Amino acid sequence: MKTVLYVEDNEFNRKIVRQLLTRTEYRLVEAADGEAGVTAAREARPDVIIMDIQLPKMSGLDATRQLRADPATSGIPIIVITSFALAGDEEKAREVGAAAYLAKPYSPRELLGMIRELAPER
Amino acid sequence: MSAHDREHPGVATDPAAAATPGVGERIPRFLLTYSPLGRIVRAVARLRASVHAKLLGAFLLIALLLIAMGAMSLQAIASVARHSRLLDQARERVDAVRQIEHALGLQMNFTRNALLLRDDATIESMFRENNRFRDTFDRLETAATPEQRETIQRLRITQDKVMATVARIASLIREGKADDAMALHLDEGYPLYREIATLVTRAVRNEEAGMGQLREGVETTYRRALLLTGGFAATSIVLALVLGFVISWSFILPVREAEGFLGRVAKGDFGATIDVPNRDEFGALARRMNEMSRELHELYDAQHRAALQLRTLNAELEQASRAKSNFLASMSHELRTPMNAILGFTEMIRDGLYGEVPPEIQEPVTDIHTCGKQLLALINNVLDLSKIEAGRMELALGEYVVEDIVDTVKLSLRSLAATKGLELVSTVAPGLPLCVGDGKRLTQCLTNLVGNALKFTSEGRVEIRVEARGDDLRFAVADTGIGIPAEQVGSIFEEFRQADATVSRDFGGTGLGLSITRKLVELHGGRIWVESEVGKGSTFFFEIPARVTREAAA
Repeated sequence: MKTVLYVEDNEFNRKIVRQLLTRTEYRLVEAADGEAGVTAAREARPDVIIMDIQLPKMSGLDATRQLRADPATSGIPIIVITSFALAGDEEKAREVGAAAYLAKPYSPRELLGMIRELAPER
Repeated sequence: MSAHDREHPGVATDPAAAATPGVGERIPRFLLTYSPLGRIVRAVARLRASVHAKLLGAFLLIALLLIAMGAMSLQAIASVARHSRLLDQARERVDAVRQIEHALGLQMNFTRNALLLRDDATIESMFRENNRFRDTFDRLETAATPEQRETIQRLRITQDKVMATVARIASLIREGKADDAMALHLDEGYPLYREIATLVTRAVRNEEAGMGQLREGVETTYRRALLLTGGFAATSIVLALVLGFVISWSFILPVREAEGFLGRVAKGDFGATIDVPNRDEFGALARRMNEMSRELHELYDAQHRAALQLRTLNAELEQASRAKSNFLASMSHELRTPMNAILGFTEMIRDGLYGEVPPEIQEPVTDIHTCGKQLLALINNVLDLSKIEAGRMELALGEYVVEDIVDTVKLSLRSLAATKGLELVSTVAPGLPLCVGDGKRLTQCLTNLVGNALKFTSEGRVEIRVEARGDDLRFAVADTGIGIPAEQVGSIFEEFRQADATVSRDFGGTGLGLSITRKLVELHGGRIWVESEVGKGSTFFFEIPARVTREAAA
């Protein structure tokens, strides 16, 4: 069973992904801030990480950078959720080593497709 | 101190010292430093008189000296002439006195002859000489000095006595008393002759002494005239040299000072002042230069302060801009996060993630989704506009295919057109090159224009046309809608403008789309305009370079 880590501070958005994945074969691990996200990634060794760009304590970009730099987690694909705020957000996401990026608000359907592409259910 | 200054160490302090001074420079420098001339030069500079007056004064002084010299010479010449005249007179007198002596000798001779011969003719010749004496005495007396006159007087008296004696001798001879006559001649006549001879000798000696004095006087006058002329000439030369030196240096020094001062000013030393003691035109010039320097200094200070202020202001502005950007970024995220939940949940409901949706719930769920999308579009527009206003809107330049943009726009608005029963068609000129620009933003522009066209058209069609115009691409969106009144065409691209305030009630929208579209087109280095006729429809055009460069987009 594949594990998905979702790092997001908004409870409702976490709930979306939680419910999105209930009927799938994925196991979901959640984290509410950047630091917790990095810790969770090191402990749970997920198969894919969904990282929001703006997070308390540590930004999504910094967390992504740390995970990519750590040999233990550098192999895990990361989907960065940008808020499409300023020009260059996507470039920044790519620079820190995101496997894919998705602009907020994203379509749950699309997100699930992306997860399946990066870490097939079986 | 910059390297440039170090190359010319002398220039800033004294421009004259920089060049190796020649003899023409060293002599005045020495004189100015070690002789009282330096003080005189400063004194002349300090004179409260114009340059003109100073020069005139100097020339006049020399001219006066020459005139004085001329007067002295004339006086010497006059004195010499007077002495010469006196000498001539003295010589004449000496002649006259000698004539008397001579005449006396003759008379003595005649008297002796008369005593020997005792004839009348000889006696007559004795008297003839007497008359000659009288003439000579008259001549002598006219040009004689008082003491000479006394001698002459005594001569005359003695002569008269001689005459009387001669007369008595003559009568004694005529009476035949020759021995008596001889005795008279020897006893009275002869001593009288001797006396006259002595007087004559004394008079001649006196005159010769006077002539010697006169000659000495002439010589002294000559010597004095020579000395005076030489002295005046030398004084004139020295004075001309000194005055020339003093006056010219009283001008040269302030000019040098000014030169150095201007050099300092040219080098940017605006606080420099010029110190010139002159109270003439040069002094006035120096005062003006100091005023100029002060003025420049103040200007420089003001400019410096303004530059500092500007720098501070710039820093503040930059900080404000950064703060604004940060605010925009977090605002964008904060607004999108709940939107994400709203749209995400409705999508999952519609996708049947929570089980089959009852038919009566399907419509409100779709409505929530539609309104959510509208709210998101609104948020995007407001954020875009804020970004443009903050100067933070940047184009993500890349290659794009025009057909792809047109297809995307048509695809996203197809359902709206279908709902209103409108025809949505497109004509893209064949053979358009691969273009460079911000494809996403151009899609946004075209979506705005086509969305507007669909919104304001109730029947007919909306057509998208794209063609090349030289190096530019021209996009056109034509509709058969209500059109825009001519007087409102000009303001249609401003924020929060719709042709009519009631229009927004009938057709919805915030009036931000067109203004964002215009800004995006302008960011591409292009322009946007509209042609419209009320009741017949409108055509919106925008033209952008087919290949947008960083510089053109700025």
